[in-house]
Parts: sequence; structure tokens; C-alpha cells
Amino acid sequence: MTSIGTGYDLANSIFSPDGRNFQVEYAVKAVENGGTSVGIRAKDGVVLAVEKVITSKLLKPGANKRIATVDKHLGVVYSGMIPDGRHFVDRARDEARSWRDTFKTPISTSDLASRMGGYLQAYTLYQSVRPFGITAIVGGFDSELEAPVDGEVGTGPSVGAGGKVEGKHGGPGLYMIEPSGMYWGYYGAATGKGRQAAKAELEKLDLAAGTLDLKEAVKEAARIIYVAQQDNKDKEFELEMTWISNATGPTKGRHEEVPKELKDEAERHDTITALLVERESKPNIEYDSQKVRSRLPFAMNAARLMTHA
Amino acid sequence: MAMFSQNPVLNGPNYSFADVPVQDHVDGFREHRFNPYTDNGGSTLAIAGKDFAIMAGDTRLTAGYSINTRFSPKVFKIGGSTSTQDDANILLSVVGFAADGEALKERLDSICKMYRYRHNKPMSVSACAKRLSTIMYQRRFFPYYVYAILGGLDEDGAGAVYSYDPVGSYEREQCRAGGAAASLIMPFLDNQVNFKNQYIPGSGVGHALQERERQPLPRDEVEVLVKDAFDSAVERHIEVGDGLQMMIITQNGIEEKILPLKKD
Amino acid sequence: MDHRPQHWGRPRDDVYGAYDASYMRPNGPTTHTQSPVVTGTSVVALKFKDGVVIAADNLASYGSLARFPDVKRLRTFAGTSVVGFGGDVSDMQYLDRHLQELAIDENYTSEKGHTLNARNLHKYLANLLYHRRSKFDPLWNHLLVAGLDEDDKPFLAAADLLGTTFTSPSLATGYGEMLAQPIMRRYAKDEEAAAQLTRDQAVDIVKECMKVLFYRDARSLDTYSIAVVTKQGIDLKEDVKLENQSWAFADRIKGYGTQTV
Repeated sequence: MTSIGTGYDLANSIFSPDGRNFQVEYAVKAVENGGTSVGIRAKDGVVLAVEKVITSKLLKPGANKRIATVDKHLGVVYSGMIPDGRHFVDRARDEARSWRDTFKTPISTSDLASRMGGYLQAYTLYQSVRPFGITAIVGGFDSELEAPVDGEVGTGPSVGAGGKVEGKHGGPGLYMIEPSGMYWGYYGAATGKGRQAAKAELEKLDLAAGTLDLKEAVKEAARIIYVAQQDNKDKEFELEMTWISNATGPTKGRHEEVPKELKDEAERHDTITALLVERESKPNIEYDSQKVRSRLPFAMNAARLMTHA
Repeated sequence: MAMFSQNPVLNGPNYSFADVPVQDHVDGFREHRFNPYTDNGGSTLAIAGKDFAIMAGDTRLTAGYSINTRFSPKVFKIGGSTSTQDDANILLSVVGFAADGEALKERLDSICKMYRYRHNKPMSVSACAKRLSTIMYQRRFFPYYVYAILGGLDEDGAGAVYSYDPVGSYEREQCRAGGAAASLIMPFLDNQVNFKNQYIPGSGVGHALQERERQPLPRDEVEVLVKDAFDSAVERHIEVGDGLQMMIITQNGIEEKILPLKKD
Repeated sequence: MDHRPQHWGRPRDDVYGAYDASYMRPNGPTTHTQSPVVTGTSVVALKFKDGVVIAADNLASYGSLARFPDVKRLRTFAGTSVVGFGGDVSDMQYLDRHLQELAIDENYTSEKGHTLNARNLHKYLANLLYHRRSKFDPLWNHLLVAGLDEDDKPFLAAADLLGTTFTSPSLATGYGEMLAQPIMRRYAKDEEAAAQLTRDQAVDIVKECMKVLFYRDARSLDTYSIAVVTKQGIDLKEDVKLENQSWAFADRIKGYGTQTV
């Protein structure tokens, strides 16, 4: 890199003459090596998914969750340096709690993104700190109902002062926050090692049309994680997925893990099956196929049936 | 004139209750104060035998004239290695203010558990007795409003009963009654356990009269004694009744019995 | 212009006299609740075969004034337990917010089905109430906790502002202690009897209690909330009206109010 040796990359708070903060750019590099994270904003909810790279055979399958709950209705997934992500989650929880303390109402997804964006940006300003080595995807569902204030006891006046506000409000929210502190709202977001492939897949979904529903989004998210994992297929991984629906939907407005049955169903997707078949047929890849067979019995059995047919 | 006069005799009652303020406290102070204590009634009893100790208490919990519940045990196992207290070697009974009793029990239990984990052996009853005293005295100026009795077996295997006042003054005794009906039960115990006012017939007159020799009572007799004591207390004290909880500690461990008492 | 900033924005001493800045003193006396202000009356609850029924009316009184007639005094926790609050409403709101926060924190570990059960919740609240009474700053509530314990058995227990705790097949706070508890004890005198009751029976008994309370407790309301907690979850209705009222007995009551004969 041209910056090396110029000294402008040694600390935050020093711009290079051409207006770059190299420390932030290096942080982005850290993100680009992490397991792929994906978020999809469907018409009636949000799905978060991550490719959890298995770093040791001694780790318990399904344990050590990568997607965190921040408030009832908010979840966070991130790619990059995991300890940085853990701290990000701690801070997000503090923000959500203090918002409730002051305003007696849940923080909206956009407000949380704004608070966290501000927090990350502050870590690009000082000599004494380094930027966060993560890009985080924040998903949430802001209640569409006339949300009661925390601890509220009555229903309040139905008309007049303090009455209901007409018009639509609330809904699903999805934001991606980068090490620089920059954040945008997205229909579909992807980060980490497989982000290019994942973004290409997300673009094909035409999420802006607002037609994809939550269950379809779960299946797409699972598929995209598998597709994005293709360039990295010598590594074992686990798929982890959470979702948030509206108050009448399957999670009743809460951020929860996708139920096992639905996740299994999503992993039986044709594309995934095909990918697994292709993978097993390649002899030169160092891959513990026995392990995969035990982990994904449905997918593999289906795959084998297809090849024999 | 009579129409708006404040005379209840002429116009019927002006207030629906009698204790309306006679005068306003315009310049005086009105004191509102929170009282952190209440008395939840109930009674406890402990008797030490030659190789056993019995701790007992009724299971009624009251608030004024109301019965909060008919089953709220007052005798607890202390210092077992788990929450089931299967291997506990000490008993504690508490009566008075139930919330303080619960807090005191939890406190002593966790201290005994810590002792067990650190020293790899259970606390002796005498050590626990001293420790309970210091816990209670620490709250000398905001006491646990509790009459506590600690029971177990001493180093020689003999039954041991320690009784306490609310600020931690304690002594080892042969028997002790605590709580609402203590004044009813204690004289009975003096006579039946310590043989007070029992003399050998025909042994003399006045000071020459010989006291009946004291001897430890067998376990089955003591159990009947406890039941009789509570049956009598229930007759005469409104805060005692519902159920009788008895814990008997011997070399073989702790046995618990729940017997019915009158529920009126 | 007055160049002393401490005088800015204040009434002029020469016009209004010396300014009394005593309110700014940082070391004034701290004040604690010494009596409740806006209050809710009874909460009643009864165990049955596979759960607990709990009810409380929707009124918050300011002394004898029926101040807020739309106050929900049954609060759910983690979709598995219900807390019924009697006593001060502001302290109830404080506790409710506290429980919300607790539920969110418990949810951070997303392991499903691993949260505080009703017994844990009751112990937590009782410790909180006892701690506050020991600071002479009580939370002025008497509350009932209804739900299931660690073995999925019905659980019902009470805790009051002093931290006193107790459990029983039926429980009631406030006037319910005098009026509803005897009725419920007729049907559930002990745990065994309560374990025979069906859900419908238990609901009927509790509804009957709410009616008696409305007849006789002057600080009560005929609109109430009722919840049934079972293994299947919480069935909470917050706007139930008393049914089949009959005030015929009122004719026979003499000697109160403005009656002269």
C-alpha cells in the first residue's frame, strides 16, 4: 500500500495529505476477513444471518451464539473482530436501556443506529484509541401499534390531546454501521468475507418492491450465506439465524432465534443442496464430509438422492 | 338554623365514622412514619434430649386478626451443602417478624455454607450459635425483630438448644419456648422438662422437701410433650394454630413431622 | 449591565428583597414515601389443577376519589408469570419498568425456556421490597405473583411492603383478605382441594370474589382484569365487566349514611 512508510497510517486523528484515515481503512480490512453476515428487511420483518466459522472441533455445536439481542425488538450481527463486536453489543444494550430510562419507550432501530454510529465515529478521532474492527448490522421491528409507554397503566384519551396519531408508523428497520461510524439504512445488507457474492444475491431479490415476506427472507438468507461461503469452502461453518416479525407475526415483535424446523427447512433449499453435492464431488478439497453429513442430514440425503436419480 | 348546624343529634350523622379530627393541626406537626416492623404471630419450642434435639413451631402466619397462610414453616435446616439441605446438621427456628426471620435464616445459612465450602466440614453447633449471636448484634440499632432458637447435637452427641433475644444475647438451655405463646408454654416446660415444683412426696416439710431428681426425657415422651404444649397454646392464643412442624435431629440425621392443629 | 452572573435571571434584591437560594442547597433532607398516594385496592388469586387465576380491578384511587378508572394492575413477566399489584400506583409503575428491564436482560442469553420462573420472580421482588423497607424507603405495595414453578406446578405467593412473604392455595390483598379469602378458602381449603379445581371453577370463584368486593369495597370498580396462567401461557383479559349484579340486598341494609330509620 502506498501509505506504508509515510507515517500517516500510524495513528488515528492524522489525515494523510490526500484526505484518508488509514487506521479506519485497516479496520475495514479486519472486517473483510470475518465470517459473512447478512441482514434482510422483508415486508413484515427482518432476518439476520451469519456464517459462524468453526475455529475448533472442540467447540460445542450450536453454542457460542454470534447474533446478540439488544432489546426485545432489536438484534445485532457483525463481521470482523469478535471482541470488538461484543463490546459494540454491550454499548448498544446500554444505549437501549438508557433510552428506556429517559423516554419510557423502546428505542427505535434508527435511533439505535444513530447512537451507535456516533459511538463508532468517536473511535476514529483520538490518538489513544483504534477504530472498531467490525461492521455491524442492526435489525429491529419498531411496533406499528400504539405502543404503551413502559409502566403505563391506562389507555389514555382516545381523541384530542394525548390521543392517537393518525397515519402509519413503525415497521422493520435494517442498518449497517461501518468502522468509520458511517451508517445507512438498507433493504438488504451484507458484510464480511463473502459480502460481494452476498450483495449480488441480495440485489437479485428486488427487496425495494416490498413483496418478499419474512419466511421467504429466512430461506433466502440461508441460501445467501451458503452461496457466499463458496469462495471459502475449505472452512467449516455453522449457519446462525434470527428474525423479528411484527406484533401479529411469528415472533410477536421480538428478536428471536429462527426455530429449528424452519432453519432446517431453509437449509434444504435446492441451491444449498446443489452446492453440497458439488462440494462432496471435489476430491482435492480438504474437507470432512463425514462431519457435514452428520450436521446436515436432510440436505445430504436429498443431495444423494438427486445424484443417484 | 338546625339545617346547617353541625349537631349530629339534630341532623343525623355528619361523618360516617367517629374519629374525625377534633381540630386541624394548623401550627402543630403531623407525624407520618413508616413502621418497618410487624408481628406475624406464631410460636416455637425446642427441647434438648440426651442424644437428640427437637425443634417445633406452628405453621400459622398472621397479620392482625387475619390469617395470611395456614402453612408457613418456622423451623429450618441450616448449612447443608445444597439447597435441599439433605446433609444439614443444624436447625434454626425464627418467630416474630417473618420477613426479618427469613432474612436472618438466609444470612445464617449462606454463612454456614461458606464455612462448609472453605473448611470442608460442617460448622459445629456451638460455633454456629456464636456466629448467630454476632449477626444479630450487628443489627443492634435496627434489630432483626425475631426470637431465634438454634438446635443440634454438640461435640459429645448430646442435644443442644441455644436461645436468643432479638439483639443476639444467647445461652444454651435444656428447653425454650419462643414467640406469641411463649408465656403459655414455658411454665409448662419448666414443670415437665426441668421438673420445677415437683418434689418427692413425704420427703419432708418446708425447706426439707426434696426436689424430684432431674433426668433426661426419652424421645417419644418429648414428642408427646411438644404436641400437648401446642394443643394447649392453640386453645388460648389466637395467633397459634393450623399445623405443627416438628424437626428431630439425631445421630442419624434430621426427621421432619407435620401434624395438624386446630384451624379456628 | 450587572456583571455578576449569579444575579442574572433572578428577581432584583432591591425590589423583591434578598433572594432565597435555599432550594439550591445540595444537602437538603432526602424524603421518602411515608404513605401511599394513588392506590389500587384488592388483588385476588386462586390456584387450580394446572394453573393460577388472578384478578384485580382497574381502579386507581386518590383517597376516596376514583381518580383513574382505567389502570391495569396485572402485569405479565416474560410471558410466563403475572404480578398483581395492590397499593401505591407510582411504585407499581416503578416496579413494572424494573421488571421490563429485567426481562430484557434475561433475554440477552437467547437460550429458550431459560428464564426466571414465578418462584424466582417472587423471591426477587420480595428481596427488593425487604431491601427497600430496610432503607426506610419502602415500595408501598402488596403484590401477588402467579405462575408456575421449576416443576411446572402452579405457584402463587405474596410479598408486601415489609418484605413479608407467604404462599397459600388462595391469596388476596387489601380488603380481599377480609372479603374474598373466606370465599376462596371454602373451595380450596388446602393444596389438595385446590388441585381438584378445574380452570372454569377457579375462574368462576374468582369472578364471584370480584363481585363481592365491588359490592362491599367502596374503593373498587366493576371493570377488572383477570388472567389465567397455565403451562400454555397467559390468558390476560384487561377489560372485563362484572356480570349478574344484584343490588336487592341493599334494601335490607339499615343504619348507614343519611337513613334515619
